[in-house]
Amino acid sequence: MADFHGQLSLRAAARPEDGVTTLASQSFRAPFHLSKSYWEPDTRTLLVQVVNPTAGILSGDRLESSVVVDAGAAVLLTTPSASRVFRMRSGEARSLQSFQVAAGAWLEVLPEPLVPHRGSVFHQRTVLDVQPGGAAFYADLLFPGRIAHGEVWGWSRLVLELEVRHGAALALRERLDQSADHLRALAALAGAGDTACFGNAVFIAPDSSAAPVWRAELHALQRDGVWIGASPLHTEAGWSIKFVAPDSILLRRTLADIRRVLTKNAPHLRCDARKL
Amino acid sequence: MSSAPVTNTDAAWLVGLLQAGDSFYPTGGYAHSFGLEGLVELGVVRDRETLSTFFRLSVLPTLRNAELPLAAHAYAALDPVAPDWPRVAELCSLAHALKSPRELRAATEKIGRQRAELAARLHAHPLAIEFLARSSAGAWPHAAAVSAALEGRTLGAPRDAVLAGICYSTLSATLSAAMKLLRIGQNAGQTVLTEALAQTPDIIAAASAIPLAEIGWFNPWLDIASARHETADARMFIS
Repeated sequence: MADFHGQLSLRAAARPEDGVTTLASQSFRAPFHLSKSYWEPDTRTLLVQVVNPTAGILSGDRLESSVVVDAGAAVLLTTPSASRVFRMRSGEARSLQSFQVAAGAWLEVLPEPLVPHRGSVFHQRTVLDVQPGGAAFYADLLFPGRIAHGEVWGWSRLVLELEVRHGAALALRERLDQSADHLRALAALAGAGDTACFGNAVFIAPDSSAAPVWRAELHALQRDGVWIGASPLHTEAGWSIKFVAPDSILLRRTLADIRRVLTKNAPHLRCDARKL
Repeated sequence: MSSAPVTNTDAAWLVGLLQAGDSFYPTGGYAHSFGLEGLVELGVVRDRETLSTFFRLSVLPTLRNAELPLAAHAYAALDPVAPDWPRVAELCSLAHALKSPRELRAATEKIGRQRAELAARLHAHPLAIEFLARSSAGAWPHAAAVSAALEGRTLGAPRDAVLAGICYSTLSATLSAAMKLLRIGQNAGQTVLTEALAQTPDIIAAASAIPLAEIGWFNPWLDIASARHETADARMFIS
């Protein structure tokens, strides 16, 4: 399979005359495509949808994306459909995502779930760099496979790396590199079942208190087989929120509930990602 | 296994590592369950079988992919002839960034600080004294893995022996917490420990080959249980 190098570069800025966020610069190369962005006046957030018009991620794909949000701008970045990583008879696919948020800016990254198919090999590295005074919500969802087809825990290798920087400080570095069998066994130990789905979110807010009221509200979402826990990041820059659900529907519902709970501290989260 | 006779020099660092790994050594490790109490409360770990599975699926992989590689890189950076202090500082920060639950960071901070201070106080080694001065001046977070490497360097212990010491102290501390949390007997506990210790040579070999950029591992359920433990109404352990 030939290498396929996709690239996306966006910079969002606030217009000086009215503070409306616009894409000050954009460039992209297949398989990335950008829908027309939408300014949501109620939440004063620019909704940007990144589309992959191909079937999914294939062997040899090299996907690089860079998103910069300038001071005063607010962006919700989402995708319209799940990222399916297809079976690879040889080779691998890689994705490098970089998000930079300036002081006084807001960025929400809310992609649809990652679905690694049987025999897939995928490495995703994400770097979220938030300057002090900036705010962000990043959420990654992972399904164990094509649940509806009964094909779960079949990937050959999956590496998901997340690095969060707050100013010059490293606030979080996570690396999920479990084999499919290992993660399945962990799910079995926790009684989560064969269709367990994972959510990993980071919430960076300048005025985040050490013991916010919303934490208890998030922890109260632990029901119906859903697990959820929130803990302050190293450097106290924000919060790590992890959640596991017994199926994809409960995972999506939990993410919606998390966004609803956090809205009081981050009003931009009221922006509806499905508006487009 | 080497058949070379043990020398007096070996005995010097060996007794030092035994002392540092003993539950009598005042690192404060006895006050932590490293997330286990949260998993017990949530019904995941409940008996000998599930404890053994937890060791195999969570404790050993954390050692292999996070704690031991951190210690191996710290051991290299803490070469007494030419210490690489910027790298040591980086590893201290990395050790904290790898732990998303606050309680797990607090545990490594307290144990790491105590181990570093004991290394300086008990052995008066210039490397340990300089480490403390630099970490204080630079406000480095303390990390148990880095301090264990420092301990090993002050004792003159070889790297793999230091890593073996970390394996033993981690496994025995977790088991010690389990003995208080679960209805599990001494013999059953030692069986679980023996099974886990049997894995350590392979784990040490694998951990030693992990590059800095690939350090890290987490168990989502352990992180969630640990995060919830922070606000638990009642708890026996700090972490």
